[in-house]
Amino acid sequence: MKRGHVWKATLLLMAGWWVISALLLPAPAAARDIKVGIVDTYSGPAAVFGNDALNGFKLAVDEINKQGVLGGKIVFTTRDEQFKVDIGLNMAKELVMKENVDVLVGTINSGASMAISEAVAKKEKVPFFVWTAKSENITGKAGHRYVFSTAENTAMAGKSAAVALSQKPFKKFWIAGDDYEYGHALADAAWRNLSKIKPEAETIGKTWWKPGEPDLIPYLTAIQAAKPDCIIFATGGLSMANVLKAIKATGMKTPAWIHTATDHSVLKPLGMNAPEGVMGTIQYHYYYPDLAANKKFVKDFQAAYGNPPGFPAFNAYTTAQLIAEGFRAAGQIDKEKFIDAVEGLKVDTPVGKVEMRACDHQAVYPMFLGTTKISKEFGGAISSDIITLRGAEVMPSCEEIAQARKAK
Amino acid sequence: MDVTITFAGFFSQVLVGLSRAMILFIVSSGLSFILGVLRVPNVAHGSLYMIGAFTAHGIAVLLGEGMVGFLAAMIVAPLVVALISLIAERALFSHLYEREHLMLLLFTFSLALILGDLTKMTWGADYRSLVAPPVLQGSVSIFDTAVPRYNLFLLVVGPLVAVALYLFSSKTKIGKIARAAAVDREMVGAIGINVSWVFAFAFVLGCFLAGLGGALVAPTVSITLGMDHTVIIEAFLIVIIGGLGNIWGAMVGSLIFGVSQSLGVLLWPQFAIVFPYLAVVVILTLKPTGLLKSVW
Repeated sequence: MKRGHVWKATLLLMAGWWVISALLLPAPAAARDIKVGIVDTYSGPAAVFGNDALNGFKLAVDEINKQGVLGGKIVFTTRDEQFKVDIGLNMAKELVMKENVDVLVGTINSGASMAISEAVAKKEKVPFFVWTAKSENITGKAGHRYVFSTAENTAMAGKSAAVALSQKPFKKFWIAGDDYEYGHALADAAWRNLSKIKPEAETIGKTWWKPGEPDLIPYLTAIQAAKPDCIIFATGGLSMANVLKAIKATGMKTPAWIHTATDHSVLKPLGMNAPEGVMGTIQYHYYYPDLAANKKFVKDFQAAYGNPPGFPAFNAYTTAQLIAEGFRAAGQIDKEKFIDAVEGLKVDTPVGKVEMRACDHQAVYPMFLGTTKISKEFGGAISSDIITLRGAEVMPSCEEIAQARKAK
Repeated sequence: MDVTITFAGFFSQVLVGLSRAMILFIVSSGLSFILGVLRVPNVAHGSLYMIGAFTAHGIAVLLGEGMVGFLAAMIVAPLVVALISLIAERALFSHLYEREHLMLLLFTFSLALILGDLTKMTWGADYRSLVAPPVLQGSVSIFDTAVPRYNLFLLVVGPLVAVALYLFSSKTKIGKIARAAAVDREMVGAIGINVSWVFAFAFVLGCFLAGLGGALVAPTVSITLGMDHTVIIEAFLIVIIGGLGNIWGAMVGSLIFGVSQSLGVLLWPQFAIVFPYLAVVVILTLKPTGLLKSVW
């Protein structure tokens, strides 16, 4: 054989081998985008929280997509649940069945979050991140492999309240709040912890109003007539501003604790007329702690949306980081591997590293305890005399979570 | 639980309930007036109340949130709502009065959704708060119990609106025509009165009251999207228990609704939210057509 023929035959063999290999071997998985389905409230009074969370998520996703995740991007689609359980549930189903989302995210409504967790996430085996709803039952007794919470929950808020109130000379308490899942869960958590730390504390009465009840003055005048030492308000976003407004309108002097009373989105509309001295707890302030990462987050958020971020934006930002880092750690877009990767994962956030606790899928946040105080610099009330309670101090232990789930 | 109900607590609760009833009366009397004269179950009435509150806030902020800003807000916001309703009446409602009630109900429901979205587009989703002028802030002590000054102010304004409505409907020519139209509109038309403009006037007046209610309630609540939903349900219930189209029925219904809610909070706080609805059930069981004479 001539040298030229050998050369041609070799080339032909190589080409043949390449063609056969290409036909027989499985093609490498093409990089694709990670689809996130968001169900939250974008109409009605709670829209302010839904929009804040969405903006925080968008900001994080824009940053993440510059680098990409597994060769693709994070893309998302939103649905307005209108703060209704049935609508939220239907929309979550639609996102999973029709849109084939890889991850579900939402919502501010604790009832809707519980329903989606049980009927969609668990049933369809789709990871679901609850980013604003705060019922401890979500990752507590009703928790399971497919649900995560990047919101602080009522157990954490209740424990923080108990720590704060047990150090005050109060004995007679009145509990008042929203008559739905969140309100009752928060009141239960606060009282469960307080009565444990301070056994002499007693509840002299309870009042429940419908979520979003606009005029709370009749409720506050009636409570004040009973002369409690302190009022525990178990209210959410819908009623929060109304409670603060009623406190101011009635000139109430009775000490009060309200979870998220120190949230700026609640205090901002009241401006310099916000009531002072109201005790509040929250896991995020745009002005505290004074860290470089937080300053950058606030600056970017303000530049993009014109307002400083609230706690929903912070929660959503953390959620986006967990989704991105979770898929990167999993190495592929596989829901089960993603869940395994997210368990115990620590991600960078504006307030430092945040861990997704493996035993209950609850984000570990510190809680900031403070009281409202008017600040001319901020043009309204902010949280003052802030005391930081570490996440481990205020969260139920993994054993308690296991017991609660077993008891269920 | 060692809570005892004192006379002072009871009295202040009645006062607060009465002041809440005044807002409900102003809103529901407008709804009742439109129902009586035009036979239109205006679901969008709550949206106009919400627009009144947002507009009042905007005007008060523009003028500095003092007494001048507050008074301007209380006057101009209802007029803005009246103007919006005049446009809606001439462009839409005036062509629909002869339609069936179900059709009108669906139409006004659609309008409520549209106005809700327009409110969101105009003012955004943020909470807003209108501050009462300093003289109406804080509370006064009555029998050693704090009663907010603004609620006492509402107790003055409510009866004034009621008297003005009474004088208008019984002493002015157009008021008498509107009352006549409520009873027999064909006859009013038959004697040569331009019924179209009587209807326009009645509609605008009813909507003005919705705007006034929204402006007056603004210092006591957070101004938010969705505040229309709560009030429209309460206003319809009040109109139904008072007697459809009867303005004094709206007053009686409002008093029952406001005071039963307020006293319910005091007497049985854990189940306070059911009291006004319980009162509605009892009244409608005993008197299905409402407490006062219905014009329907």
